[in-house]
Amino acid sequence: MDTTKRPLRTVLVAIAALSCGIGCATLTGCASSADDAQPSESAQGAVATTPGVPSARQATGASPRELLVRYQAHSPPQLASADQVGRFLDWVGASHVDEKEDARRVIVAAASNQAVVDALIVEVERVKAADHSRALLALAILGETKNPKAQAFFTAFVRRALPQQGTVIDGEIMEQTQAAQLQGKAIDGLAYINSDSANKVVMDVIAHHPSKIVRAEAINAYLWNHGDSVEARKTLSQFVRTDEAILLDRVRRVTGESAASFNAKLAQFLKQHPEVVPPDPERSKAAATPAQPQGRSLPPPAL
Amino acid sequence: MTIIRKFIVSAIAIGTFGVALEAGAVCNQTAASQADTDLWNTHGCWTDFFLWQYVAYDLRGGDWTNRGWNDACNNVLEYPKHWNASFLLTYGLLDNNDQSFHGTVDYRATAEAVSSNFHNAIHDSVGDGTDLFGSYSGGTVTTYCPLYDVTWQNANPGSRGGDFQHEGWHAWMEKYNFNNGDVGGHRPGPQGACTINSCDYFYFHGISQYVFGDMWQNDGTANRFHSPNQVQVEYLCDVADQSQSWIPASVRMAAQTDANTRAGQRFINGPGYTCGSARPW
Repeated sequence: MDTTKRPLRTVLVAIAALSCGIGCATLTGCASSADDAQPSESAQGAVATTPGVPSARQATGASPRELLVRYQAHSPPQLASADQVGRFLDWVGASHVDEKEDARRVIVAAASNQAVVDALIVEVERVKAADHSRALLALAILGETKNPKAQAFFTAFVRRALPQQGTVIDGEIMEQTQAAQLQGKAIDGLAYINSDSANKVVMDVIAHHPSKIVRAEAINAYLWNHGDSVEARKTLSQFVRTDEAILLDRVRRVTGESAASFNAKLAQFLKQHPEVVPPDPERSKAAATPAQPQGRSLPPPAL
Repeated sequence: MTIIRKFIVSAIAIGTFGVALEAGAVCNQTAASQADTDLWNTHGCWTDFFLWQYVAYDLRGGDWTNRGWNDACNNVLEYPKHWNASFLLTYGLLDNNDQSFHGTVDYRATAEAVSSNFHNAIHDSVGDGTDLFGSYSGGTVTTYCPLYDVTWQNANPGSRGGDFQHEGWHAWMEKYNFNNGDVGGHRPGPQGACTINSCDYFYFHGISQYVFGDMWQNDGTANRFHSPNQVQVEYLCDVADQSQSWIPASVRMAAQTDANTRAGQRFINGPGYTCGSARPW
C-alpha cells in the first residue's frame, strides 16, 4: 500500500459519507428524505408511517365542522389605518359568502382614507407576482373604494406593458396572462367608478388594449355596470373590435341565477349567433379502449 | 482496498448525481397562496379526508416522495395542495340543480380514480414540468408545478381542481373513443376565437339540461357533449358562483378569474360564458 495515499483515502471516505447522506436524503425510498418521517420520529403528535399510506408529522386539530362552529362570522376587522390593511385582507380572503356586505360596509367607510388606499396599492405591488389570489383581493378592495387615487392607479396599471417573454404553456406566456388577469381586475374597478373619465379609459382599453383577456373583461364590466342595456351595447359597439363584437352578447351566469333566467339568455345568444354552434364531435380512428367494469369507491368522510 | 476505493468512488458518484438529479425534482415548496391557505384553514388538515382521498385518487406514495406524502399537513408541499383541491371539489359546491352547471357527483366522478361511466380507471401523479398545467396519458393524470408554485396564478385549489376536470375529461374522451384533436388531445390553434395553440369547442348547454350524475352522457352529436376545457370552465364557474357559503372569497375569486380567462381564450366557437359579477368586490 502506498502510504502517501492515506490522507487522500481519508478525505475520500469523508466525502463518500457526506455524499451518501445527501444522496440518501434525495433518493426515492430513502428513509431520510425531506418529508419522510422516521418510524422512530418523536415529534409530538406525529402519526406513525405505514408504507403506501400518507401521514402527517403534526397532529391535526379540530374537524372542519368544529372549525365552522367556532368561526366568528360577521366580525370584520377595522380598516382605518395603513397597518390594518394586511389583517383586513387576511380576513376578507377567508370571508364567507354571507359576509360580503359586512366587508362592503367596512370598505365604504374607509373609501376616503388615503392611508388605507395607499397601503392597498402598496400591497398590490408587493404581491402581484408573488400571490395572485391576494393581489386579486387587494385590487378588488381598492376597486370597491371608488377612490380617485385608486382610479389614477388603475388607469396607469391597465396601461402597463405586458411581459412578452416567459414560461409558455399551450402557446400562452404565463407571466403575460398573470399580468393581464390583474389588469382585468383593475378594469372592474374603473368600470365600477362609472364616471366619464373612468369610462373613457374603459373604452380605450376595449379598443386598444393588446390583451383579449383585458378587452373582454372591460366589455363585461362596462355592460354589467350599465345593466346590460341595449344602450350600453350600442355605446360600446363604437369601440369593440369587429372580430370581438360577439363579446357584447356574451352570456353571463351570476350567483343565484335560476335556470330559467340563464337558459333564456343562452337561447337568445344562440339565436343571435348560430355560427357558434359547434360541429358534431368526431370518433377516433384508433381502436376503442376496452371497457372496464365499473369500480366501487368508498364515500368520503362525512363533513 | 481496491474494492473499498471502488465503493467510495461509486458512492460519491451516486451521491453527487443523486443530489444533482433530485435537488430540482420538486415544485416551489416555499409557500401556499392565500386561496390555498384560506381553504386549508376551513379544515385544518383533516386526516380522515386525506386518508380517504389518496385511495379515491389512487395516489401512489412513490410519486409524491419529497412532496408531502409523509408530511401531509405541510400545506406548502404538493401533496397537501393536491388534497386541498380535492377537499374543495368534494365538499365545496352547493349542488343546486336549478342553478349549477353540474353537481359534485359529476365533478368527483371525473376527478377520482375509479372506473365508471365517466372514464376507465385512472390515477393521479405529479411532475416538475413548467410547460404544462396537467396531462393525461394511459390512465395517468399528472399535474405540474404551475398548479402548485405559489408565484403562478393557477396555484390555487379551484384551478387545481379545474385541471382534475380537464385531464379527467381526456380520460372520458378515451373511454368513449372521441378524437378531440392531436395537439395534446385538443385542436390546433390559434383558430376562430381561440387565441392559444390548443383549442376546444364549447358545447353550449343550459342549466338543468344535465341531471346531476349525467355529465358523462353524450349522444354523439354536439347537442350532448363536453370538451375538456369546457368541463374545466363549468367547474370553475360553479366554484365561483355556486359554492357553499363557507368557501373563502379568495378561492371563489381566483376560480372566477381562471374561468373567465379560459372561456375567452380556449374555444374556437367562443366565447364561453362569463361567471360572477363584474363588481370589484
